[in-house]
Amino acid sequence: MSSDLRPDLRQQVTLLELVDRVLNKGVVLSGDITLSVADVDLVYIGLRVLLSSVATLEEQGMPVAIGDALR
Amino acid sequence: MSAHEPIDKVLAGSGDLDRIAGELEHLQDAFPRRINADPEKVEQGLARLVLTLVELLRQLMERQALRRMEGGALTDEQLDQLGETFMKLNQRMEELKAEFGLEDRDLNLDLGPLGNLL
Amino acid sequence: MIHVYGIVDELDSLPPVEGVDGAALERRRVDALELVVSEVPRDEVTQEAVLRHAQVVEALMSRSRAVLPAQFSRPFAGDEELVSAVTAKASDLELRLQRVRGCVELGLRVVAPAPDSGPEAESGAEYLRARLDEERRRSQLVAEVDEPLARLAQETAGGAAGSNVFERAYLVRDEDASTFLDTVRELQAAHPELSLACTGPWPPYSFGAEAAK
Repeated sequence: MSSDLRPDLRQQVTLLELVDRVLNKGVVLSGDITLSVADVDLVYIGLRVLLSSVATLEEQGMPVAIGDALR
Repeated sequence: MSAHEPIDKVLAGSGDLDRIAGELEHLQDAFPRRINADPEKVEQGLARLVLTLVELLRQLMERQALRRMEGGALTDEQLDQLGETFMKLNQRMEELKAEFGLEDRDLNLDLGPLGNLL
Repeated sequence: MIHVYGIVDELDSLPPVEGVDGAALERRRVDALELVVSEVPRDEVTQEAVLRHAQVVEALMSRSRAVLPAQFSRPFAGDEELVSAVTAKASDLELRLQRVRGCVELGLRVVAPAPDSGPEAESGAEYLRARLDEERRRSQLVAEVDEPLARLAQETAGGAAGSNVFERAYLVRDEDASTFLDTVRELQAAHPELSLACTGPWPPYSFGAEAAK
């Protein structure tokens, strides 16, 4: 089970760690407020799309409040 | 270091590296990320956001309850009631996650300075 | 549009590498700070671009006294926007640049075996007691793994995790890196049940913001 015998796995882990750093870490210089929650970048989604998505969820009868979820 | 040569930055590894790789798999969904107007992706992205926030609140509330439990501040009846509520909430969260095809690691919070909250 | 790779301190000369999409790297001074940038035609995130970005940052590390890697994010529409964004954070960036000088980032990721999920809790109280056990297990894991390593680091960052997963980045002085690695190996030996990966040395991606402890 020595990881030395799996260079491809080490490379995979390296690559993923690298991607994680480049995309999620590093200094954020943009002047916009970027909320990095669940990899969802709200600045790009835009408020209008966000609101229409909430409407869609409610149409489908999805609970969108903790209280609903407990019933 | 060329982008096409295999890179290996693993300095030390043990146990099952597969499990480590599994934790990071979701990053492969990041491409392409920015200009994504696909409504289904947006909806799943929104579901992920909502569930992450609910999960954050759930964990915070549960932690509060554990602190009060440790401090002996809760009666047996309260313990049962609180516990049952959290059990139900937990179960509902599992159902919602399954519905949207989300794993625990997808609900990944980058809280910045609040990073240690969870 | 302008893509930023990072902020550099005493960069000798630009490395002989191309930037994202084959564009030439450029040096750009904003007040007392120096950035390395390149022109990009569009706002796009591809695996190739991410790898190239990382490659440039690595190359800058070996040619500078310090580098603060920039997150791969939306490129700037123009010079004015870039200058304004950098100026807003200038004093923090200068502080951070000094803090990371002579250091590398070492990352640690640990997966503990999932606890045996016993029978479903029969009562609310039982559920809460099980949660408490989980929490204690997690604190113990963190204490055993993180504490000895944090002592060797200037700063630590990260840490969002589930009850059996642990992730942390450590800012370690160059000269302390091998002791750090020895400590990781000791932890490996002491905890055969854990899946563990220590990666690096990385440019200090996780230590660009003053929120790092």
